[in-house]
Amino acid sequence: MNSDRYQRHSLIDWFSQEAVKASKFAIVGCGAVGNEVAKNLALLGAGHIDLYDFDSIEIHNLTRSVLFREKDVGGLKAEVAAERIKELDPNINVSAFVGDVWEEMSLDKAASYNCIVCCVDNFEARIKLNQLCLITKTNLINTGIDSRFCQVEVFPFKSTDCIACYECNLPNSAYERMQQRYSCGWLKKISFIEKKIPTTIVTSSLTGALAASNALEMLKEVEVAVSKRILVDSFSGKSTVSTIEESCTCPGCSSLSESISVLKGTALIQGVFNLPSGCPDDCVVTSEPILISTRCTSCNPTLESATVIFDKASKYDSSINTCNQCGQESVEVVIKDSISLSDLEQVFQGREFPCKYITFNANNQTFVVEMER
Amino acid sequence: MSDIHVIIRTADQTRKAEVTLDSSNTGADIIQASVDNWTLPTDTDYSLVNTTSGKTLTPNSSLGDSGIKSGDVLEVQPVLVAG
Repeated sequence: MNSDRYQRHSLIDWFSQEAVKASKFAIVGCGAVGNEVAKNLALLGAGHIDLYDFDSIEIHNLTRSVLFREKDVGGLKAEVAAERIKELDPNINVSAFVGDVWEEMSLDKAASYNCIVCCVDNFEARIKLNQLCLITKTNLINTGIDSRFCQVEVFPFKSTDCIACYECNLPNSAYERMQQRYSCGWLKKISFIEKKIPTTIVTSSLTGALAASNALEMLKEVEVAVSKRILVDSFSGKSTVSTIEESCTCPGCSSLSESISVLKGTALIQGVFNLPSGCPDDCVVTSEPILISTRCTSCNPTLESATVIFDKASKYDSSINTCNQCGQESVEVVIKDSISLSDLEQVFQGREFPCKYITFNANNQTFVVEMER
Repeated sequence: MSDIHVIIRTADQTRKAEVTLDSSNTGADIIQASVDNWTLPTDTDYSLVNTTSGKTLTPNSSLGDSGIKSGDVLEVQPVLVAG
């Protein structure tokens, strides 16, 4: 590392270049805000940056993406951003992960970051990242923008157990909006068109700066007892900082104990499935909804004739409601995110858990078993 | 149940009203009333912040349970999704 590069930083009394150099960040979503956060952390001299995005660059991204050029259109956002970060500072260890972060980021990997910066554009991905960070006690910074406002939410999960998570204050309308994308619970609607929210570089750059600043703060390892939200009005310059209140009925964190044990396990279901003594339930909770079975109520009127699927519901869309034999929309689907031990032993024996992990609570502890494949 | 006199405003501060609410009202009730009365965009989700205490209100908690007092200023903030 050429120390002259960081000479100006060394003049700042509160700035530890060594701590920044030793840091490891994940930036999830390499769109407008992700570009800004990556650029800022790179120029600050972060030691390790992992970039996650499944998407490719489109021409309209160029008005808000400092790392992309016209020649990059069609390229993969994470890969192109990683190349440009390397140009900005060759000392940085930067990696690109192209795909769904839920598949790409293991719990071990999530735990290895000082902070995960969420720069995605939808509620589902935010909720999933929130889950990964809650389980692994990894600091999370969530960002969001529109054409006027900038929002940065800081969740110092590493610092303390009893703090609000992303879902604690998520309005009911957000869940209703998410459900509009699905039919029959969790089957994707074939014809759903996502509404695009227009933004400019003004809000994305302000948000990226605030997110990077808060990510730096987290490196100081000062114990922070609250989660906070910063909302900036880019027109007036007015900002509001508020403490995010914890919800005892939060769907994200209320079912998790303060003590969480993360284990690795085989995805294959075999033999008798025993939970530890002290487990109040006789079921395990899956990390995502599972399509259990399908049955055409016209062709197969008896419940026993259902076809067992046991696969991620997210892999299917509402077309499976139509029966292949009779052509009618008469297929009943069963989707669950909680599976009883008796079903595991009797119905799903020999199959593999089609999810990232399962959880169960016992003796005031949450056990998370991540599936090894 | 008791009455609480508060000021409700939008984050851009173009809408503002002094209202009397029942302490059993929830944050979600107030947001819905604000969207309806001020015809705020319905394709956006909102969260409520007590700017006097500097704390957010959990959507399903009542004003009483959230410690809202007369004179508090509640701000309806957009929940931003784009990235």
